[in-house]
Amino acid sequence: MRLEAVSLWRRLQEEASFDLKRRIFTLLKARRYERRRRRVLDAVSLDLPKGEKLGIIGPNGSGKSTMLKIICGILSPSEGKVSVEGSIAPLIELGAGFDPDLAVRDNILLYGVLLGHSAAEMRAKMPFILEFAELDEFADVPVRALSSGMVARLGFAIATDTNPDILILDEVLSVGDESFRNKSRRRIESMWHDHVTVLLVSHDLQFIRESCSRAIWMQAGGIVKDGSPGDVVDAYLRSVDSSAQERLARARARLAP
Amino acid sequence: MRRRLDLLVVLTERMLRARYRGSILGIVWSLMNPLLMTGVYTAVFGYAFRQYYAGSVLHYALVVFIGLTVIQFFSGSTSQALSSIVVNSGLLNKIRVPFEVFPASTVASHAVQLGIGVLPLLIVVTLFSTHDVFRALLLPLPLAGLILFSAGVAYLMSTIYVYFRDIPHIYELITFFAWVTLPIFYPAAIVPEHVRRFLVFNPLFPTVQSLRDLALGSGWPDLPSIAASLAIGALGLGLGLTIFTWRRREFMDLI
Repeated sequence: MRLEAVSLWRRLQEEASFDLKRRIFTLLKARRYERRRRRVLDAVSLDLPKGEKLGIIGPNGSGKSTMLKIICGILSPSEGKVSVEGSIAPLIELGAGFDPDLAVRDNILLYGVLLGHSAAEMRAKMPFILEFAELDEFADVPVRALSSGMVARLGFAIATDTNPDILILDEVLSVGDESFRNKSRRRIESMWHDHVTVLLVSHDLQFIRESCSRAIWMQAGGIVKDGSPGDVVDAYLRSVDSSAQERLARARARLAP
Repeated sequence: MRRRLDLLVVLTERMLRARYRGSILGIVWSLMNPLLMTGVYTAVFGYAFRQYYAGSVLHYALVVFIGLTVIQFFSGSTSQALSSIVVNSGLLNKIRVPFEVFPASTVASHAVQLGIGVLPLLIVVTLFSTHDVFRALLLPLPLAGLILFSAGVAYLMSTIYVYFRDIPHIYELITFFAWVTLPIFYPAAIVPEHVRRFLVFNPLFPTVQSLRDLALGSGWPDLPSIAASLAIGALGLGLGLTIFTWRRREFMDLI
């Protein structure tokens, strides 16, 4: 998997008025209407060999999720090139594609097809997914009637039952009750030890330090540091610490007479 | 391509299920609306307008029914498809799905309804009134024109809705305009000559014209109207899809 100098510009939503009437009035008043764009990713390059476990850290709004969306193909880059080999299982907000009114069985088909599998394949996998999610008895119940833990279990079971080459985890390691959590951890661990490439966004720095083989620190749409998890996490913590110190010092200076 | 087809089938099924909640009565239900409206129009106008329909109130009722199914398919499918991109923004932000399946599946779900509800009824009417199997066989052609045209408008409107969220109000006006300028519940003959000339510019006009001719006419079927209906359908879809594809890159920033 490889990103070459990927940049992404996005139109600002706040600036779009979404209102035809207002837009016509603006035009009538001959006010200039210009599109503003913001650079969300700034020439990000990343080369990830097969089987690497990459931890991604950085403050909110630094472009972590945006980069994952580019890798998944949800967004396409404004500049640069993305090449991904193999199938991706995105575990981003499990169950985003569920229809609460449809039965569990129909949702497995729907979600699987949305994730890119064929309908025939999903029908064949149905029993295994139901079994792993421990929802055999609920196959014909609408998803609306399930508890939120059950829904999360179902989402996890569908998204991981596909032997992906690349696994994308966005803060979703804890799903369901204690027994299911152990089961899902085992499944992730088995992928972890396979040749699956993993991209993990987490604020659990300890976990990244222990489990990843490499880490990157993102800030303001770019990669600040790329290296061994220990070094990157330490550097990140130092910078967070020093900027907190700075803020503290400035606050003190203001308070001082 | 295979993926798109799978998606289309799964999403269309979902829409149909949501509409009927699995009941077989659903198909009957989808026919209730045009049948009831036909009843009301016939009760109110049937007697007054019968002279334009060979003195037959039944004939008037059939003409109204055919017109209603066309305009209801058009306005129902396009106004539901209008929001199909924006409504699914949550999904589109999390999973990579080709945008174009959403308006298409909305129109397809209405088309399925048309195929299993209205079409059999039209075939029965055609066979009874014309005793001509050839005419019954031609019925799917203008319906295909209608479906293609509606899909084109669905693509156009769902694109515009991404940019302007107040468009549904304006679109309601447009469908009302299409409704009134089609001679559905009135005979075209009562419209003054200088206005009537413009009625043919309604893009749904050839579809209504050819369906009525197939089901109730006599002699050689009105093939030019069928061809016009199909041509307008193909043109509409081409135009709608072109605009949709042209603007698609911006959708993700705005939904």
